[in-house]
Amino acid sequence: MKLFEYQGKDLFKKYGIQVPHSVLLDKPMEGISLGFPVVAKSQVLSGDRKKKGGIRIIETKEQLPGELNTLFKTEIDGALPGHVLVEERIEYLKEWYVSFTYDTDKRCPVIAVSGKGGMGVDSATIVELQWLQGHWGLPSLDAPFREVAQKLLNLFEQEHALLAEINPLFELDNGVFIAGDAKVILDDNVVDPLFRPFLDLPGDIAILASGGGASLINLDALILAGGKPANYVEYSGNPPASIVEELTVKVLSKPGLRGCWTVGGTANFTDIFETLSGFVRGLRRVTPKPTYPIVIRRDGPRQKEAFEMLERIAKEEGYDFHIFGPETPMAESAKIVVQLAYKS
Amino acid sequence: MSILIDENTKVLIQGITGKEGSRACKEMISYGTKVLAGVTPGKEGMNTEEGVPVFNTVREALAQFPEINTSLIVVPAKFALSAVKESIDARVPLINILTEKVPVADVAVMIAFAREVGVRVIGPSSVGIISPGKVKIGSIGSGDIASRIFIPGQVGVISKSGGMTAELSRILTDAGVGQSTVLGIGGDLLCGSDFVDIAKLFEQDRQTKAVVIFGEVGGTYEEKLADAITQRQITKPVIALIAGRFAETLPQDTVLGHAGAIVSKGRGSAASKIKALKEAGALIAQTPEDIPNLVKQVV
Repeated sequence: MKLFEYQGKDLFKKYGIQVPHSVLLDKPMEGISLGFPVVAKSQVLSGDRKKKGGIRIIETKEQLPGELNTLFKTEIDGALPGHVLVEERIEYLKEWYVSFTYDTDKRCPVIAVSGKGGMGVDSATIVELQWLQGHWGLPSLDAPFREVAQKLLNLFEQEHALLAEINPLFELDNGVFIAGDAKVILDDNVVDPLFRPFLDLPGDIAILASGGGASLINLDALILAGGKPANYVEYSGNPPASIVEELTVKVLSKPGLRGCWTVGGTANFTDIFETLSGFVRGLRRVTPKPTYPIVIRRDGPRQKEAFEMLERIAKEEGYDFHIFGPETPMAESAKIVVQLAYKS
Repeated sequence: MSILIDENTKVLIQGITGKEGSRACKEMISYGTKVLAGVTPGKEGMNTEEGVPVFNTVREALAQFPEINTSLIVVPAKFALSAVKESIDARVPLINILTEKVPVADVAVMIAFAREVGVRVIGPSSVGIISPGKVKIGSIGSGDIASRIFIPGQVGVISKSGGMTAELSRILTDAGVGQSTVLGIGGDLLCGSDFVDIAKLFEQDRQTKAVVIFGEVGGTYEEKLADAITQRQITKPVIALIAGRFAETLPQDTVLGHAGAIVSKGRGSAASKIKALKEAGALIAQTPEDIPNLVKQVV
């Protein structure tokens, strides 16, 4: 779970890392309780906010309402900000970069430090942390902010962060360090274990894909076959029917669909009857009743029972099911759903 | 030959009385795997349906069955670290973690502990390991699936995705291409054993003539394999299928599929993995069905 800058800075404060004085706004205001100039920052999750017009320096009180209006109306990567964070402008000597994250090459937490704040991790020196007596120990740093780094490491460990980044970290002429920005990603396994990725995409073929890996390879296959995916979602493991039912309702409630592709490989242990029963229950709840082609490709435990059930439901309730087992490759079923969906 | 598990594998299941644990136990035994003991704290003294004795701790199980050489971890995510630590402390040489959604911080600690004492961890989020015709551990090849889709042969399969272990093996088997060992390494951000670790074992295995990998957008494990091929640490042919090319069109930091699949610029994208592997000399499959033909080109 990626946090907004202001949420990240709230965590910084909790761990004793200094941040600029600020006001968080949820709508444009005429005045604020900060001295000018100020920096106003759109609270969106995209990077490169500055380049995308999400950060504005406001010199005077008179400019404030107009500038805030602009910020609240500026979409960044398709998202309008829910909040704008207005901060005092910091006079600094130097900008640094510091972050903690997990490195997949070394398979352990690492600290990244750079004397070029604002540039990002690319110019940083990356050092592994060592596991010492129940904690990750901070290595010696070629930078003057060991105390800030230790506080950031405490946050990283105790808040179950996957990334805790300060960029830039301002060094003031009096030796004080202030976090100019905050980028914090928390571990969904801890903070949101029921999280399932769902993306709304601009196409018209709905997809219910099972398996983390298979769902990715299948989206590739659909696009390769000329299909336009309406969404991305996956259910992994051996989910109960209720989970599949809810996902089905969510995915098929999108207007303007021309086809549905329920796809998965040969399952090791997923109960195919259970998951496809959930699909059917979800399908029945979708209004208006789907008349577009529904291509189902699946294999695994209880596949035979599942397919008998689907064929009966198609006949009794009048759905346009096209059912395939392992003899039809997943990529082939992508072509089939594309042909059926776009033939008229 | 095969890697990791064979006729000499003797298994302890941690979490044996849970839903997934008891199912895995039953299916492993019916495939011929020697399951000697299980652990569920507080259930010492009971036996499973199949007659496997249950202990409170790994240490007690090992005292009774010192020949145990493999631990299968099927406990809830929040207990995974302490369960794995018990097996590491007991120096069980192979620990296979099926548990999903283990906190990344806990995985980092497991890896540090395992490195310190020199035991091998596979997972978390592994679907298990199968050496067809001999033995299997975990949820791989449930029910009648195992005998239908896995046959003994010369190809090693390493997959981030559990589901794709079955799909790829079925495609290979249907084309008459058997497997030496098939395993899921999990798709988490951090994994106990990565593609390189396992490919090195296949490199030493006389039965294995080629290695098939299923990789995904996110992380750098595929790029590391490309480096190992370039450095001639891996000389057997590698056939790779990499998922998530579509993710290039999505905003940065979008989480897809597995937890490790965070889209970031540069390394980590499907395109960067495909390019690195291709340049190293691996064969790239466009679809799962391409794989048997590519295998036949090199074996």
